[in-house]
Order: sequence, then structure tokens, then C-alpha cells
Amino acid sequence: MLTPLVAFISGLSLGIVIWWSQRLHFHRQLTDVLNALPITAVGNYASLISNLRRGVRLSSQRQFDLESQLQTWQQLIQVAPLGFLLVDSENQLLACNTYAQHLLHIQNWGFGRPRLMLEVIRSYELDQLIEQTRRSYQPQEQEWLFYPTLADPDAAGRPAALTLHGYTWPLNDGRVAIFLENRQPVIELSRSRDQWMVDLAHELKTPLTSIQLVAEALHSRLDPPLQVWVSRLLQEVTRLITLVQNWLDLSQMSAQPPTPLATQQLDLPALIRAAWQTLEPQARQKHIALAYVGPETLVTSGDEMRLYRAFLNLLDNALKYSPPEASIEVHITPTATDVHISVIDHGPGFPETDLPHVFERFYRGQTNDPMPLSRSNGSGLGLAIVEQIILAHRGMIRASNHPKTGGAWLQITLPGHLLPTPNPQTTPP
Amino acid sequence: MRRLEQDVLRMGALVENSCRLSHQALFEHNLVAAEAIAPLDKQIDQFYRRIELDCIQLITLQAPVAQDTRLLGAYMQLIRDLERIGDYAKNLADIAIKLFPHPPHPCMAQIEVMSLQTQTMLATSLVALVDLDAEVGRRIKQMDCAVDAGYAAVYDILAQTPLVCTNPSSAPSSHQTLEPFILLALAIRHLERMADHATNIGQRVAFIVTGQRG
Repeated sequence: MLTPLVAFISGLSLGIVIWWSQRLHFHRQLTDVLNALPITAVGNYASLISNLRRGVRLSSQRQFDLESQLQTWQQLIQVAPLGFLLVDSENQLLACNTYAQHLLHIQNWGFGRPRLMLEVIRSYELDQLIEQTRRSYQPQEQEWLFYPTLADPDAAGRPAALTLHGYTWPLNDGRVAIFLENRQPVIELSRSRDQWMVDLAHELKTPLTSIQLVAEALHSRLDPPLQVWVSRLLQEVTRLITLVQNWLDLSQMSAQPPTPLATQQLDLPALIRAAWQTLEPQARQKHIALAYVGPETLVTSGDEMRLYRAFLNLLDNALKYSPPEASIEVHITPTATDVHISVIDHGPGFPETDLPHVFERFYRGQTNDPMPLSRSNGSGLGLAIVEQIILAHRGMIRASNHPKTGGAWLQITLPGHLLPTPNPQTTPP
Repeated sequence: MRRLEQDVLRMGALVENSCRLSHQALFEHNLVAAEAIAPLDKQIDQFYRRIELDCIQLITLQAPVAQDTRLLGAYMQLIRDLERIGDYAKNLADIAIKLFPHPPHPCMAQIEVMSLQTQTMLATSLVALVDLDAEVGRRIKQMDCAVDAGYAAVYDILAQTPLVCTNPSSAPSSHQTLEPFILLALAIRHLERMADHATNIGQRVAFIVTGQRG
């Protein structure tokens, strides 16, 4: 009688043990699943199942929120007033917003297989920018002219080029995001502003010249007390005329396309000496001498009038800011390929903060001189003109303060072999 | 294969850039543009060599079939055309530098139209390549006729310019040399050749797609 009971109990207990161990196993698995859920902040419910149910609900809720957020961002990027592009590591275009499509004249976007960026936007500059970003893993920016492909090849005329400014941002997996800004309106605006200034200067020049003539006529007919007033007037009118003329010269030099240089052979040191001679009277007043270091003669080619103007401006500046009885140093060092010219004075130099702006139009150095004398001469265009002249000669100019003298230090590099001298005067056979 | 396509397009974009620069040099007297072409041309040559090598490697190592074979074969021919166009652009820039001191000739406007047409043809041929559109590829041939007509017209103008008789014994009329005319004739010749090469590209695209010539 006892044996079946023992068998039953032992069987039952074995079953219970198996069931229990399975339950434990299942429980552990459930806990694992629960832990694998991204949301762990689950209330301590009695049953694991309700915990799990709640976890799943929360996480799907979270997923829904994230998805709608993602959608919002995507929509925002789509309508952003800035071009946006996204390319993958193989330069396939993944995203392209409405503005970019409009800007780059992309017509059939979003159909079929993913396309290479270059298939859609044939711009070598953009391609290089992306490549550079990927290589350096640093954000980059660059400005370039983009020529859209003609939509209708039969249409005559050229599509307007766009000045684009691109900002790139490296992402993981070799993907690169690009933001594109259309700079064309800004460029056009600044161009029309320059044109406006030129027109204005032209309009001002004629009446100013008449005023000058009238004032000169008056000057000779007036008696001393009144004459002083007219000399003041004359002085101011002359200054105004110089300003207008400088402005016109500068506009002419920076015009696109630039007016060609009248290139000829010239002796650089002699040119500098000639410029100095023009300034000699002012230099003598302040007892300032020119210290020249360099070869006696150095024949190079260039536009004599313009280079003369450049050196006149440079020396005039140096003279203006030099203390009395100082010297102005000019060094010329020819190298195999270039000519280096330095103009150094003993003045107060440029303020550190102004250094990036000295070649801008209407820049004027702050002098320690409390007298408003420095205001009466100098138009703030001098260095801008110098820069344009040097650039037209395909040279470089750099402004800094000389470590020894503390004064302004203008370094110019001119290519030794300037423009191939055009030779229209060919002898007839 | 994808990378190869990208390199071809890159090369195309570069050639387009040099055409634009040559245009600026010729018609806007932009000598800076003329000088910028030489380094571009070097890059184009590099691309040319690299793409050719890649094509050969792909053909030998991967044994592509049908359209891919045609694509590779066409690429190898087409980059040659692109490279030639780039060379002509460089020559045009040289002409621009030589032409610089001479006063502009009245037929410059016509030549400018030719240059624009050529550039459009090049752009269209690249678009055809991208879309593998045989129809567009064939249409370029019609555009080539316009450039040919321009060539003939400018040639006639140049050829029929009467020679101003310079009497050797009298005062030398120094600015009457043949040089500008020779340069202009060369320029239109180059433009016409560029257009022909662009046409070739278009025809090669048609070949890739249909496998038929002409």
C-alpha cells in the first residue's frame, strides 16, 4: 500500500521541482527581456508580466514620440531657408532639401536608385570640399562660383553663375552633411553699392572742380582777413577732390575685369627715390631721412605710374606717422623668383586690433596726436589703393609692426618676372 | 564600378571648369583665369591615366558582362575625348594670352556664341552620361551643326578680310600683322574640335545604352 503512495509523492515532488525550475528559468528570461527594454523605470508591480506589459507600452510610446520628433526635424530641414545635402561614404546623395533643389537646379530628385552626388550636382569644388572634410574629419567652409547646367540646352545665353558658400560637417560612417548658402544677393548688393559710389563720385567731381576754381579766383582778389577763410575753403575742397579722385582710382583698379596694366621695364630703386623726392619738402620739415638698403639699380617690369603711386602712398603714410628726426627704412631684396620690398617707420605702428583691417577702404589709423591735423589729410584709401596696385601686379602685401622699431612694417612681394611684356610693336617684314 | 563612374564625372566637372576658364580668358580678358588652367589640365591628365588603369583592371579582373562591358569600353574612349577637350581649353587660354595686346576683332561676339554652344554641348553630354539617355546623346549631334555653322561663318569673315597693303618703303604700319587673324582662326578651329569631341561623348553614351553605333 505504501509503495504506490511513495511513488506518487516522489513523482509529484519531482514534477514540482521541474516545474519550479522551469518557472525560475522563465522568470529569469522575462527579467532579461524587461532589462533589455530601453525603459527601466517601471513601477514595482506585483507581477512580472504587468511590469513587462507596461515596459513595452512605454517603449512603444517613446518610439512614437521619437519618430514624430524625427519627422518634425526632417520637415524643418526640408523647408529650411538654407540648402542641405547629405552624402554617404560613397558620395551617394542621401538627402537634399527643397532649397538646395531649387538652388542647384536639381530636377528629378528622389526617383529610383540612389545617385552619386556628382551625377546630380556637377561641381568639382563641392566634391573636393566633401573629400577634404572626410579626410580631415573637421568642418570646412568654402565659397565658389557654381554654374548650373542648362535645363534647356537650346536656350541661348548663359545661366547665371551663383556664388555659393558651403559649410560641411563630418558625420560617422564617412557621411558628410553640407549646408549651402546663396551669397549671390550679397555679392550683387555690394557690387551695386560700389557702382553707386562710383556714380556719386563722378557726379561730385565736376562741381567740386568748379568750386575749387571759383575759390582760387576769389583767393587772389580778397584782402588778408577774408583771404584766410578762403584758403581754409580751398584746403578743404582740395582734400575733397583728392578723396573723390582716390575713390575713382580705386574703383577703376578693383573693377572686374581689371583694367590692364601698362607694363614696361623700370628701375625699382629709382622709382622709390622719385617718390621720395616728391615728399622731400614735408620730410625736411620733420627732419626725416630715407634709409635705403638694397641694390643700386634693379630693373623689373611693371606699371610705372601705378607702382609710383603705391610707393608714394606708402612713404607718405610712413612720413605721416613718423616722429620728427626719425628715419624711414626701405629694403629691397631680390631673390631668384621674387622681389621683396619692406617699408619700415619708427612711428607708433598699427594697433594690434586694426591689423586685419588696414587694407580696407576708409580705414584710418588712430594717431596719438591729439591735434585733428591728421584728419585734414589722408582719405583712408591710401593703403587700399596700394593693395589693389600690388595685387594687379600679382604681388602680395602684408602689414605688421616691426619688432625692432615698433613702427609700421609693410612687406611687399612682387614676382620677379611680371606680366609677359605685350609687344604690339612688331616690326613689319 | 561606382567609384569609376564618380572619377569620370569628376574629370568631366574639371574639364567643364577649364572650358569656363578659357571662355573667361578669351572673352573677358581675364589673364588670371588663363593661368589657372595649366594646373587644372595636369589634374585632368592624372584622372585620365587613373581611370584608364582602373578600367583595364576591372575588365581583366572582374570580367563584366553586357552593358557593363560597353560602359567600360565607352569610358575608356570617352575620357580620351574629355582629355582632348581639356587640352583644347588650355590652348585657347594660350591664344587668349597672345591675343591680349591686340584690339578685339568684331567677330569675337560670334566666337563667343560658339564657345557658349560648345560648353552647353559638353554639359549636355555629361548629363546624357549621367542619365544614360541615348536620346539626349543623339541630340548633341544636332547641336554640333550649329557650332559647325558658326565655324564656317567666322572662317568666311576672316578669310575675306582684305589684306591692307603695307608698302615696305612707307612708314611701317606696325599694328597690321597677321597674328590676330591666325590666332582667331586657331581659336575657332579649337572650338569646333571641342564640339566634335563633345558629340563623340554623346554618341558613346548612345552606344552604352543601345549597343548600336551611329
